[in-house]
Amino acid sequence: MKEKINILKKELGITFEVFTRDQNAVKSSSDLDLLENKYLGKKSLIAQTLKNINDFPQEIKPLVGKTVNEIRRKIEDELKNLRNELNLLEFDKKLREEKFDLTLPGRALLAGSKNILYKVIEEIQEIFIGLGYEIAEGPEVETDYYNFEALNHPPDHPARSLQDTFFIDDRILLRTHTSPVQIRYMEKHKPPVYIIAPGKVYRKDYDVTHTPMFTQIEGLAVDKNINFGNLKWTLETLARSVFGKDRQVRFRPHYFPFTEPSAEVDVSCNICVGKGCRVCSGTGWLEILGAGMVDPNLYKFVNYDQDEINGFAFGMGIERIAMLKYGIDDLRLFFENDIRFLKQF
Amino acid sequence: MKITYSWLKEFVDGLEKYTPQDIAYKLTMSGTEIKKLEYIGDKYKNIIIAQIESFVKHPNADKLSICKVNAGTEILNIVCGANNFKAKDIVALALDGAKIGDYTIKKSKIRGEFSEGMMCSEKELGLSQQSEGILILDGDYKPGESFANQVGLDDWVFEIEVTPNRPDCLSVMGIAREVCAATELKLKYPQYRFENEINIDTSFNIEIKDLTLCPRYSAKIFKNVIRCETPLWMKNRLFLCDIRSIDLIVDLTNYVMLEVGQPLHAFDADLLTSNKIIIRPASAKESILAIDGTTRILDEGTIVIADENSPVAIAGIMGGKNTEINEKTKNVFLESANFYGPAIMKTSKKIGLRSEASNRFEKKIDPLLTITAIKRFEELLNKINGQEFEKVIYDSYLVVNRERTVNLRYSKIKQILGIEIENKTVSQILERLGIKNKIEPDYISAQVPSFRFEDLEREIDLVEEIARIYGFENIPTQKLDFKSSQGRYTFNQKTLMKIRQTLEDIGLNEVINYSFIGLKEFKFFKLDEEKSLKDYISILNPLNEDFEILRTCLLQSLVKNLKDNISRKIQDLRIFEISKVFLKDDSNNNNLPVEKTKLAILLSGKINLKSWNCSERMHDFYDMKGILEYLFEKFRLKGKLELSNNEYKFFHPLISADINFENEKIGMIGKIHPQLVDILDIRQDVYYMEIDIDSFIKKSPSQKKFTRIPQFPSISIDLAIVIDDKVTNREVEDEIYKNSGITLVNLRLFDLYKGKQIEEGKKSLAYSLEFRAGDRTLKDLEVEIISKRIIENLNKKFGAMLRQ
Repeated sequence: MKEKINILKKELGITFEVFTRDQNAVKSSSDLDLLENKYLGKKSLIAQTLKNINDFPQEIKPLVGKTVNEIRRKIEDELKNLRNELNLLEFDKKLREEKFDLTLPGRALLAGSKNILYKVIEEIQEIFIGLGYEIAEGPEVETDYYNFEALNHPPDHPARSLQDTFFIDDRILLRTHTSPVQIRYMEKHKPPVYIIAPGKVYRKDYDVTHTPMFTQIEGLAVDKNINFGNLKWTLETLARSVFGKDRQVRFRPHYFPFTEPSAEVDVSCNICVGKGCRVCSGTGWLEILGAGMVDPNLYKFVNYDQDEINGFAFGMGIERIAMLKYGIDDLRLFFENDIRFLKQF
Repeated sequence: MKITYSWLKEFVDGLEKYTPQDIAYKLTMSGTEIKKLEYIGDKYKNIIIAQIESFVKHPNADKLSICKVNAGTEILNIVCGANNFKAKDIVALALDGAKIGDYTIKKSKIRGEFSEGMMCSEKELGLSQQSEGILILDGDYKPGESFANQVGLDDWVFEIEVTPNRPDCLSVMGIAREVCAATELKLKYPQYRFENEINIDTSFNIEIKDLTLCPRYSAKIFKNVIRCETPLWMKNRLFLCDIRSIDLIVDLTNYVMLEVGQPLHAFDADLLTSNKIIIRPASAKESILAIDGTTRILDEGTIVIADENSPVAIAGIMGGKNTEINEKTKNVFLESANFYGPAIMKTSKKIGLRSEASNRFEKKIDPLLTITAIKRFEELLNKINGQEFEKVIYDSYLVVNRERTVNLRYSKIKQILGIEIENKTVSQILERLGIKNKIEPDYISAQVPSFRFEDLEREIDLVEEIARIYGFENIPTQKLDFKSSQGRYTFNQKTLMKIRQTLEDIGLNEVINYSFIGLKEFKFFKLDEEKSLKDYISILNPLNEDFEILRTCLLQSLVKNLKDNISRKIQDLRIFEISKVFLKDDSNNNNLPVEKTKLAILLSGKINLKSWNCSERMHDFYDMKGILEYLFEKFRLKGKLELSNNEYKFFHPLISADINFENEKIGMIGKIHPQLVDILDIRQDVYYMEIDIDSFIKKSPSQKKFTRIPQFPSISIDLAIVIDDKVTNREVEDEIYKNSGITLVNLRLFDLYKGKQIEEGKKSLAYSLEFRAGDRTLKDLEVEIISKRIIENLNKKFGAMLRQ
């Protein structure tokens, strides 16, 4: 009996080996049908064996059944895999008969643009928010008091002529700088004060290097123990964040009525790397902002105790920063609103 | 202001130890900014002093001569077109390689005759605007020497920006003082020959009506002045400092002003009609013919110098024509006065005349200078023509104490600058600035000199002096750490940034326009006829008629942007601007206008270009409305957003509306009136929308709230009706909502059709309706009942029929 089983096993083994060889020759689904018929069809060894299972002695019938079915399942699995493979091939073949041009242009979406001046403002705002500042705002039409008087420009002060002013009447004007925000903010808040204030300002000046309206950012820090070294640190941090870590920053003494000492701040020219070129007028330096320690007279206007606190303030023109940062060589481009300019940023 | 290196050298002992570049750097870094440093000698390379030996007529040209010229080491052949010279004349000779303007001199043949250079005129040398013939030099010059070197042009010019607080620096003397402060060099005060002469001149009677307007008036009469040419070195120095040479006397006044900082004015003494000079405010409507040839009408605010009959000069600004120095002038009345700065500033602004003199007076100059200047004038005149004058001077002044002691605490220096500076160093810095001082235990007591009286008043002023001379670069940076405040944007600021970003993301380009426009444009767009936009603010002193008033809306600017871009051949535009507009507000006590922030959007031209996969499409009204709806959705403004017809004059009468949110006006939207657009030569439709951003932000929720995701399924049905064309979508939608109850959660018009199969005057509208209940699954029957009711009522109200 054992022998019978062994013979059967051997026969089935050979059958499977032959099947494995045969299946390699299958090229199409009709080949596959033939193959299936050959090994699982009525005349196949497997079908015949199962059909004549009664020829085996009773006690080995289950074993015979199990053995044959195992092989049958194996073949069925193989055939199934084969069929999937063939289907896939045929599907793939059909797909390949289609045509598709990847090089046709995509469906257009419109790309907009924020104005470059606001991009620069936002970049600077981010830096100061990170340092712990807040953003303050003020009106663009101002009183003489906030624009000049409280900023230490008494009525006959010669510095007033530095800023040609647009007037609404003899007391109301278009602000010539963002500095009035300093006074307005200090009037409403006790120290410590850490603010920056971006906005439009106006001066009666119109030529290649001046537009009657431009944009500034003002900064003000008033607290106990603030000194000139802190001002230097803050503005160096700003300049290097905006223009790059490798830039040199220098402070030159200057004069502003509302700061003392006052400074103008330059960054090293990135075009000539300090050697001197047309952009920096041969000096190797580019002026970017004005700054200084808050003149104690201002504290009188806002009722701060000038013995208790100190502060610094600074202001810069955004157009100038943008020009230097992006290599824009004509100020007028900012307000011509040529779409070819706007779309670049 | 410009001054030269050689001039500075006369006042600074040992200046030659420093190169002009060093000096420029040191001045800049101590607060006197050098805008430009220029070597003038460069322009005169290869130009030498030469002497004409002899000359003959050019054989082939009537107007030319051939000269034998001694160039020092050789005799050169020069063809010359001028005829104002004779043998032995000393001239400026440009040799091969010299640059005259844009032209480089080369040895060449002129009409067949060899010429080895060119003899130059003053104009060719860039020394005057106009000149006749070649320059003939008068004096002891050696042929072959460098021309620039011999005539004072081998020099460096500093272009200096003097800040308005430092009128004392508007002179060579002042800058010399700064050089000494910034280096260790010593100031060289010029030794005047007439040191101690002050005798009062009584031949003239001088009356100052108001000593506050004229704190000091000094003068001297120079009798029988021997006139001669201004020496070339002086002419050239003035030229390098941008001052035109006129004649010896006027040149001397200018020279002294540049040197010591005190403006001078010279009158022809014989043309003054009285022996009395009066300094007084002008009377109303008084006028004067000024030196520049224009008659100026004066008013009470103006200070004039007058004789007994009429004004002879506008004080501190310009002299009068009638008393001007002229060829016949024999006796010179030299005025050296100090006028009240603010009055000079006011007058100079009013009559639109700024001069070197007014610029100095405006900033309040030191009254001690008046005498110095007269002495310097006299000394220079004597040096030039050898003449001696009577030792008398007139002087009248208000006695003002110009001495001041300021105490500078060491602790204050530390507090402001963040570092300690040694007492000795502080004292030395003050000393170098000309400030005498004494070291005390806790402070330094500083004696402010007269020339710094105006700007050194307080302790902090001295701290600044210390800081700038000590050097900003020597003050170490200190990290600023503060815990007291936390940086953050307000909700408004954050939202505004987000709005900007959103608009960029949906393909709009942001423009920025000037806040002012012309009144003409304003009226062109009929803004003066709109109640909400007509109250504009005028600029009192506009740049020109395009900048007369402040914008009350952004419409004109964006239309202008469109027009400008079309002229650059860009027709398709999607732009926005976020800016303030200004409206007059009489209720406001301080009379400041109302400032409102507006968002304006303009769409025009194509939204889609013709492409292989889509057809071309022009922007239309619904693109604009789509943006509006998107903004409200994006910023989660939940509530009733609707357009209500409002005929703005600048919009198409049918396509013109207010934007209302929760029954409050928040903006306007429409199509710009085709006729306006046509006049502007814009050949396409233009859509415009303006939203009040302040209200928009106010209404957007700062804190969003979670709502549960619906648990029960919804039922969707489509409803197509045929209805009279006059009925609006809104009316239909309102009716649908009215009949639906709360289960209708979504209503969308998905088709609009007119034409074939639809009766004329009617249209077909198809809506998709989505129903859902919050507490159960809706039954089909319920929806059926509702939809039946909708159709019945649409029929009853508008005669609408269900489309088959």
